[in-house]
Amino acid sequence: MPMASLSRWTMSYFAAALASLLAAELLMLAGFGYPAADLTEPATLIVVHVTAIGWLSLAVAGALLQFVPVLVARPLAMPWLALPALLAIVAGLVLLCAGFAALAGWADWPFELMPLAALGLFCGFLLLGVMLVATLLSARPVTLFAGFVLVGLACLAVTVLSGAAFATILSGRSAWLASVAPLPDGLRFHALLGFGGWLGLIAFGVSYRLLVMFMMAPELPARQVRLVLVFGGFGMGLAVAGLLAPATGIEIGAGFITMPLGALAVASAFYGRDILTLYRSRRRKALEINMLASIPAFAALGLGLPLLPIATAIGGWEPGIAALTFLLAFGWLGGLTLAQLVKIVSFMTWLETYASRLGRGPAPRVGDLVAMPRTGWWFALYYAGVAIAVAALAGGLASGFRLAMLPCLIGTAGIACELVRIRHLSEIKAEQRPSLHERPRLLLARADERRMPHADNRTAETSRA
Amino acid sequence: MPTTEPLKPRELDVRPALRGGEEPFQAIMDAVSALEPGQSLRLIAPFRPVPLFSVMANRGFAASDRAIGNGDWEVTFSPVAGEVDGTEGLALGSSPSAAFWGPPLQELDLCALEPPEPMVRILETLEALQPGDVLFALLAREPVFLFPELAKREHEWAGNFDESGATYRLLIRHGGGRAHG
Repeated sequence: MPMASLSRWTMSYFAAALASLLAAELLMLAGFGYPAADLTEPATLIVVHVTAIGWLSLAVAGALLQFVPVLVARPLAMPWLALPALLAIVAGLVLLCAGFAALAGWADWPFELMPLAALGLFCGFLLLGVMLVATLLSARPVTLFAGFVLVGLACLAVTVLSGAAFATILSGRSAWLASVAPLPDGLRFHALLGFGGWLGLIAFGVSYRLLVMFMMAPELPARQVRLVLVFGGFGMGLAVAGLLAPATGIEIGAGFITMPLGALAVASAFYGRDILTLYRSRRRKALEINMLASIPAFAALGLGLPLLPIATAIGGWEPGIAALTFLLAFGWLGGLTLAQLVKIVSFMTWLETYASRLGRGPAPRVGDLVAMPRTGWWFALYYAGVAIAVAALAGGLASGFRLAMLPCLIGTAGIACELVRIRHLSEIKAEQRPSLHERPRLLLARADERRMPHADNRTAETSRA
Repeated sequence: MPTTEPLKPRELDVRPALRGGEEPFQAIMDAVSALEPGQSLRLIAPFRPVPLFSVMANRGFAASDRAIGNGDWEVTFSPVAGEVDGTEGLALGSSPSAAFWGPPLQELDLCALEPPEPMVRILETLEALQPGDVLFALLAREPVFLFPELAKREHEWAGNFDESGATYRLLIRHGGGRAHG
């Protein structure tokens, strides 16, 4: 049935994600991790994983739980797994950070925390994957959009499994694993599959659909969009090969990472051309805040992804690679996610509150829920902080980087407050707000089960015939 | 088989069965299954079998009925040309009886509106219609968030994309759900 209801736990995913982003920014503001510590030191790894798993993965997961059913016009499969998945991922992340702290020697905790953390993350992402794959495959034929998500989920699987192997090695529990998967070489591919494959390819695929919807742009030809998936998928295949190469005894040079990165950069070039086409051909001329605030994110992608393979090919320029990685994680993925969160949260809140009232009295528009232009200023602060941070990282200015995290943090906190105000309908005139007990709850959508009487009849008829 | 001539309607008199206390539904369905393509079914019953009309409509048969005295009714169910598989090509969840809804009272072209505006307009328009009225709308995409709301308000719908896949065609019949709940 092409019915979509509200995903019950998506708001909880978003809340956990925003809390993680604020935590990561606070840590960086406090001078925790790179550049004060090395790229592969526990302090840096804590910041990286709070950002990658806590912030970006949970936000993307929450959005997918809401929009995969909408985009394939099928109900979410096994929706009761959403909460266990969230709890397992959060528990896994907390254990992982504790494990890194133990490795760093800050606390006298057992190293077994690491494989335990891997188990939690594995279970959480597995449940998430089961829900999404079952939903995607329930709609036939499998669309190009579903292809992006499926390849992204495959990258997530490899990322989680390789991460679990690293965690086991780091806990000192498997000399065998350590012998087949030398750690420092594998890390780059693990990171690339996580950021580029899971988060990146899914951001590509989802944005094609959402941009068409939000800007009323004409659909792009599938063969044009398929190029992005082909090159992106090829790049991720190379990354998997790079990850597995040590186990097979094949010697790959240190410069091998340039190849998957290069393929991803080609994919992003095609993607950038498509996004430009969508913006130019849009029928909705006035850009809403989510589309305006996405422009710096696309610019960050356009700058960061072509330069990253060049920086790795030159080799040895660690500050440059760190700066470009930060630009892609916080400018592109982070900025795009924050921008679309404003739209997703306001749309879901509007639907939850006003769907049953439409046609029966005055109802505000979705955009009325968002405080403008104030929300725009928070984004300006956030992106300004990211830009300064990138420059400081490239220039090796550790204190400049720390200072740059202040506008980032203030901007993020401002956006988080705006999202809470959207849930509380704070911008809506009192007479258009429903009574207190009917208002949206902050973290849990009122997703009542609705059935379709004549659809049930039809099934009964078919079985009788 | 009593019929050799395909256009001659098949007859079924359920009065004896009903007098004998039997439930004739299965016999009717068996008779329907045994129909030749294009063949009609003439049913004789001791009452006007209204519930059967929608069951048969779902199978692509139009009903015409007349009283034949003594409270008995003769109903002829004729296959509607090209509509035997009327639900073919319709989105899952579409009402199978949509082929018999009659012409729409109102038509809306909502292709140029940004979501969720089409949903707002359709629900507003429906509030002004009477039970049984039919509304036709053109949209740029499948209105997945509208369907649960239609079901909640007891409206029926049928929809699909046109051949080019660019426009979604939606037919909604006012189901008489409370207009102001």
